[in-house]
Amino acid sequence: MSIKLYEVSKFYGTQAVVRNVSLEIQPGELFVLLGASGSGKSTLLRMIAGLVTPDNGRILLHGRDVTQLPPQQRGTGFVFQNYSLFRHMTVAQNIEFGLSIRRRKAQDRQQRVQELLNLIELPEYGNRMPNQLSGGQQQRVALARALAYDPNVLLLDEPFGALDVKIRAQLRQNLKVIQQKLGVTAILVTHDQEEAFEVADRIGIIERGELLEVGVPSELYHRPQHRFTATFLGTANLLQARRNGSNVYLGDVAVPAPPNTEHLSGQSVEILARPEEIALSHDRPHTTHPTIGQGIVEMVLFAGPLQRVIVRLTGQHEGQVVTALLSPDDARTANLRVGQQVWVSIKAYALLPTETNEDIHPSLEHQAKTSGLKG
Amino acid sequence: MREVTPRSFPAIALVVIVIAYAIILLVVPFITIIQGAFEDGLQPVLDTFSHIDVRHALLVSFVLSVIALSVNAIFGLITAWVLVRHRFTGRRLFDALVDIPFVFATPIAGYATIVMFGRTGWFAPTIIPIVFAYPAIVLVKIFVSLPFITREIQPVLGTLSPDYEEAAYTIGANRWLTFRRVILPEIWTALLYGIVLTFARMIGEFGAVSVVGGALEGYTETATTFIFRALKDRDNTGGYSMSVLLCIISVIILIVMNQLKSRFADSAVRQSQG
Repeated sequence: MSIKLYEVSKFYGTQAVVRNVSLEIQPGELFVLLGASGSGKSTLLRMIAGLVTPDNGRILLHGRDVTQLPPQQRGTGFVFQNYSLFRHMTVAQNIEFGLSIRRRKAQDRQQRVQELLNLIELPEYGNRMPNQLSGGQQQRVALARALAYDPNVLLLDEPFGALDVKIRAQLRQNLKVIQQKLGVTAILVTHDQEEAFEVADRIGIIERGELLEVGVPSELYHRPQHRFTATFLGTANLLQARRNGSNVYLGDVAVPAPPNTEHLSGQSVEILARPEEIALSHDRPHTTHPTIGQGIVEMVLFAGPLQRVIVRLTGQHEGQVVTALLSPDDARTANLRVGQQVWVSIKAYALLPTETNEDIHPSLEHQAKTSGLKG
Repeated sequence: MREVTPRSFPAIALVVIVIAYAIILLVVPFITIIQGAFEDGLQPVLDTFSHIDVRHALLVSFVLSVIALSVNAIFGLITAWVLVRHRFTGRRLFDALVDIPFVFATPIAGYATIVMFGRTGWFAPTIIPIVFAYPAIVLVKIFVSLPFITREIQPVLGTLSPDYEEAAYTIGANRWLTFRRVILPEIWTALLYGIVLTFARMIGEFGAVSVVGGALEGYTETATTFIFRALKDRDNTGGYSMSVLLCIISVIILIVMNQLKSRFADSAVRQSQG
């Protein structure tokens, strides 16, 4: 195991910013800690680097307990959001810093610096000063600086947060390629769900200091275990229901229960249907997809490649709002106008246990929470 | 800032007033002193500087200033660091207190030193004398120029994000290496500027130095207290000669400071770009 956290906690005063986080990260894995700002994800990362001391728990890097060690003795590579390149040093001197501290031979250092400059695709930039580089270039140098001394693990704290959208997308790809090439275990902290999906081998969802769940991106998106995960990762249509026998009942509409949900039998649940899994039609559809009822089109929005349609359900689910994303074909076929009555069906869905948490309202209220660029 | 060439009468008058003011206050005294020193030719000036007490006074001024300066350089740096990096109760008060030497009449500082370290003072010395001896002069020099280095470094240090040090720590640099290779190069110009400013202030100090040192000829007399004595003894050439020397030192310091300032400006541009 490359990184192992065992019940790590951190309190600021009486406030727990990280609560009993246990986590194991495989060698060579790129793990993304995803959470809103203030969720404790950065604090957790800084505890791994030794920049923050945990109040409880243990941290192991490659089997070595580093909980009490200062950052200098942990051998992690850390990339900061604001690059934090040393302003008075050239690009090459920045990259070389970790090697000169380790008293490597001048010749080896030079060679290593050139290797890294090639790796980050800035081979000719060694003699530049950091301020002569763009933000994206600076962050690549910061990455090279953190990789120069072959760190145990690579820790990235919102590394692309200060960059504009296009550069960000490009750097994500670069990072993923470099990380795989070197096989270095990495943790990346971000609040950007799209970024997480794109680079992560696995994602850990962190909320109010707690690691809610861990999984591969598609699993977390399609079959989350927590309502927070469902709403944080993209847009979620949540419909209150009850699982009985082999069906899930939305009022008196029965839809087949998804596999592996027997443990929710007899319980009040929520059906999670992603907007792209919602189908709308003027006539009652004759498909195998379960139809959940009728509604009135409230809004038709242009969303680039797709069409976003907001429908307010009528009848049994009076007031419930559902968001649908229609492909260009479907949008043309349906040709929806505001005020029209449509049938709503769900093509794929998952079940969530109804949470009785005080700050979550177990109502039929629409929980469309968009994050990142989708908003 | 938009610059304009003055055209209207009030604008031209304003420029003339400012220039006249500067000439009367800065240039005329300088010329008078030079004229006074060389009134009887070069020989009396050379005689003044060959006098053993005069040489001693100069030496005392320099050596004690350098000692006091090294103390202030270290503590000024530490004070700036603490004020920028640490949050503690009373920090704002402490921050304000640092400026006290700026506003204090320096003879008061000298008097306080006598009260504290005199023979009946709270910290009366047991081994070596402090008051009316070199240690007291060093102490007051430290006091009167205490804020300079701190105040020069503080704003520069403030522009360095803590991430900067943390980056060095994660890379493997210990605190000393981080200071020497990461922090110091950033604040170097500001530190030099503060040092030059402090040195100028220390060399020029008169009030506190004459109070605590007693201005004993050949012992605690400094360059500035020598000028006072010379003029009192109607040794005009002596007083003026020393004044000219101190003025030349000041001009050199001014030039050095201006050089540093432009370096400062360069690095400020560098920082705003970075």
